[in-house]
Amino acid sequence: MAAVRTSSEIGFNRVAIVAVLVVTIIFLAPIYWIASTAFKPRNLATTIPPTVVFQPEISPFVKLFTKRSQLRSPPTPEEYAAAPWWERVVFDGGEKIVRDGKGQVQWSGYPSRFLNSLIIAITSTVLAVGMGTFTAYGFSRFKVKGEADLLFFILSTRMLPPVVVAIPMFLMYRAVGLNDSHIGLIILYTAFNLSFSVWLMKGFMDEIPKEYEEAALVDGYTRMEAFFKIVLPEAATGIAATAVFCFITAWNEYAFALIMTNRRAQTAPPFIPSQVGSGLPDWTVIAAGTFLFLLPVAIFTFLLRNHLLRGMSFGAIRK
Amino acid sequence: MRKLVTSVLAGIGLTLACGTSVYAQEKSLTIFWAEWDPANYLQELGNEYEKETGVKINVETTPWSDFQTKAFTEFNAHGDAYDLVVGDSQWLGAGSTGGHYVDLTDFFKKHDLGNVMAPATVKYYAEYPGNSGKYWAIPLEGDAVGWSYRKDWFEDPKEKEAFKAKYGYDLDVPKDFKALRDIAEFFYRPDQKRYGIAIYTDNSYDAMAMGFENALFSYGGDLGDYSTYKVDGHINSEKAVAALDAYKELYKFTPPGWAKSFFVEDNQAITENLAAMSMNFFAFFPSLINEASNPNAKNTGFFANPPGPDGDQFAALGGQGISVVSYSQKQDEAMKFLEWFIKDETQKKWAALGGYTCSAAVLKSPEFQSATPYNKAFYETMFKVKDFWAVPEYAELLQQLNQRVYPYMIGGSGTAKETLDALAGDWNATFKKYGRGQ
Amino acid sequence: MATTMITTLDRSSRAAARGLSDISIRNLFIIPTVLFLIVFNIFPLIYSLGYSFTDFRASTNAPANFVGLQNYRDLLNDPYVWSNFAITAKYVIVSVAGQLLVGFGVAMLLNRDIPLKGLITTLLLLPMMLSMAVVGLFWKLLYDPSWGVINYALGLGNFEWLADPKMALYAVALTDIWMWSPFVMLLSLAGLSAVPKHLYEAAAIDRAGPFYTFFRITLPLVAPILMIAVIFRTMEAFKTFDLAYILTSQPTAELISIRLYKMAFQEWQTGRSCAMAYIVLIMVLAITNIYVKYLNKVKER
Repeated sequence: MAAVRTSSEIGFNRVAIVAVLVVTIIFLAPIYWIASTAFKPRNLATTIPPTVVFQPEISPFVKLFTKRSQLRSPPTPEEYAAAPWWERVVFDGGEKIVRDGKGQVQWSGYPSRFLNSLIIAITSTVLAVGMGTFTAYGFSRFKVKGEADLLFFILSTRMLPPVVVAIPMFLMYRAVGLNDSHIGLIILYTAFNLSFSVWLMKGFMDEIPKEYEEAALVDGYTRMEAFFKIVLPEAATGIAATAVFCFITAWNEYAFALIMTNRRAQTAPPFIPSQVGSGLPDWTVIAAGTFLFLLPVAIFTFLLRNHLLRGMSFGAIRK
Repeated sequence: MRKLVTSVLAGIGLTLACGTSVYAQEKSLTIFWAEWDPANYLQELGNEYEKETGVKINVETTPWSDFQTKAFTEFNAHGDAYDLVVGDSQWLGAGSTGGHYVDLTDFFKKHDLGNVMAPATVKYYAEYPGNSGKYWAIPLEGDAVGWSYRKDWFEDPKEKEAFKAKYGYDLDVPKDFKALRDIAEFFYRPDQKRYGIAIYTDNSYDAMAMGFENALFSYGGDLGDYSTYKVDGHINSEKAVAALDAYKELYKFTPPGWAKSFFVEDNQAITENLAAMSMNFFAFFPSLINEASNPNAKNTGFFANPPGPDGDQFAALGGQGISVVSYSQKQDEAMKFLEWFIKDETQKKWAALGGYTCSAAVLKSPEFQSATPYNKAFYETMFKVKDFWAVPEYAELLQQLNQRVYPYMIGGSGTAKETLDALAGDWNATFKKYGRGQ
Repeated sequence: MATTMITTLDRSSRAAARGLSDISIRNLFIIPTVLFLIVFNIFPLIYSLGYSFTDFRASTNAPANFVGLQNYRDLLNDPYVWSNFAITAKYVIVSVAGQLLVGFGVAMLLNRDIPLKGLITTLLLLPMMLSMAVVGLFWKLLYDPSWGVINYALGLGNFEWLADPKMALYAVALTDIWMWSPFVMLLSLAGLSAVPKHLYEAAAIDRAGPFYTFFRITLPLVAPILMIAVIFRTMEAFKTFDLAYILTSQPTAELISIRLYKMAFQEWQTGRSCAMAYIVLIMVLAITNIYVKYLNKVKER
């Protein structure tokens, strides 16, 4: 920047800061609404005007984790008194917790699905980013015959509407026994994210000056050593950014998760909307499920925020 | 990098650990259904079965909007993930001719289910093709469209007086479609944020079609001849045209933004003080008598779909029968479960748990009819129901209906006659394509 | 095959002797990915292409009959399908343009020393971290004239966002803009921060106006990144399904992927839906190809 700031520049900066604040508030309002609904009592969820001040409740989360059904007759006072607090909270909401034949409390699908989501999203992100990094380096540093076509082919794998891919993929998975397995979804999401990962990483790789490796090669490093010791650390920021995007995609994927899995490998996204089932949606539970599900991505992104801001330039800009 | 490798290995390890099934060890049956309360009741009923026989029942569910997709994807791949499925009545054609369902005709005859279960439920949940005497499912959850209404609004003396002055008869539960319309108009007061009526308008699957059927059938019209597949003179008859206009007329008195409404929105119309009357499947009424979910629970009443101008009275059918999946490895176990399920005492238990039994004896019993404020209306309705086409290509017919009727209903383009003539043309073409009738 | 473009190693050097050759490294790095993607995409592609010439229905066990180009002919003669394409085109243009405008605009605002910049940027990314289905569910609620917050906050009364056939598509696009502008913003921010500062300084010394600086320096240098954002957002917007399907069922907002879903998973017209998918694929390929060509041109400048 110029050494001396003019007063109009400072004025503009102030305007810009105010504008940023306004935009941030607009963008965050729906998120705030979801997050606050996750802690509201059910009867305050959809009031107009919206309820802003309320006694926060934990009941939406209790409901989120348990299987419930409509209370057909209220519990007797003794039953109510004997019930643990988390069951009372459900009674208060006009529902009861479903138990199995042995009287065990039935968990909702949410906890196990959440765990599946973690396993599948993390593993597939690692694989997609890892493979993408290698491949991008290959394209960036070596001459490849038909490079443009190959890159375009890689891009094109993301163009088919998933609806169409679903049926053949399902048949293929069933034939090889990959349906309803963690590995199946991991492979699928890796394939899905790979095109994005290669394209982004190629941009980052192009940015890293070749001179670095060449110097290393002259110093007696092998190409592999140069890649791992010189190039990878330089590309760390790009890897972080790519990982965030891939993780978000894998974390939230809905259609294939719905079709390809039954009970072992189900992930959470298809579960959250299921709470509208019984005639009246409990928005607090849907919001609670959404809120919890947002946390891992938000934390992941927040931890990588500096990389995101610093490193993204995709090599699209020439030096 | 070492971290990366470790996490990959950890991921794969976990995956393998989770990959081994815990379900395989014990004797069990998996029943597939949609995610709603009746599925919970079925699980509870299944618990009883487990106590008696040691066979574990797992009721697996998926949200309504994904139910059809998920079930048929599994069928089409000849998957054995589900032993039994509680399928929609329209699936019978595809389920039977596609070879997905086990033929239950012998089972049906052996247990005389044609008489044990209410006739309409046998006709629509079990038999395909119509009048063929071939059965593919056991009626499990009866359901039809009924109405809920605001008793406090209806019984307010001032409202009664004003209504009488305006329409010349008493404000009461509507006796026919004309009264339904009048009451809807009477309570339509946008300035007070009160509206007349909530109806089904969602055209992404079968909601709007079900809603329209209530008018169509009560007006004495029908969709077509289910045995000859003739639709001209049925779906575009004068009665059908009048019915479509009557249904469109009701749309005028709905709350604002009522263009994609199904069971959720219609129930909300009652809980949020928006509408005087609301159409919904009986299966979704339990949450309306629950004070925790409906602040107006005490003031909510129910009635059956009213008759049309000529006194015909019918309602659109919902509900499901339970079928054995032909790709299941445990068909014998599944049949044993069905034998248990159709027993009288099981059906009583099923009704007590909250299931809508289809057993004629239980339906007729006073205990059942007085169990909830809407059971009586349900009982009355279940003997007066009609359903959509159940041919394997029903979804194409449905899509054509949505495509023709929705722009007229919501967008107001064309006339009812033009709309239904065009629909008859579409349906003729579709039946011709699949070589039916003509 | 090709030769490496970097200094070839001195064959007698220690490193070259014990390490893999550049060609093997290149192959090792590239071939697995390409093979993996081929295996994963070729099967669905061949499957779909094959069935697109038949009347196959996955829901029945009836054998598939070869019908030649009938499916393609029927689809291209179906006015509803054409209207789906027109609607999708409108949707893609509105929503991608909106995201570009909002995303780039916010990035321009953020591209300065602002307190808590890292935190604000992360917070702004939150919308794109949600799943499309959940966003659809909540926005349907927010748009509702009776119990939605939007009309209340903006004082719009009974304004019908989704029930008005003319408005519905724009309401869906607006939600998409809310959700994905942050994506464009993040990419733009990266591009902006990479513009060498000395160019601005030079412009300031030349007393160039802000417009000149923007159009001659900022925009050309950020353009390649914006192009990547546009490519990915266009591809995704073309495939928009969950969001639009949950928000509205207006025929005036029926995107091509919704039609495709109904054809494939409700009607089970597998053959016909495969043909439709191919038509869509060819269109997206063509559009993306133009973009990529343009991107390469921009890069060359």
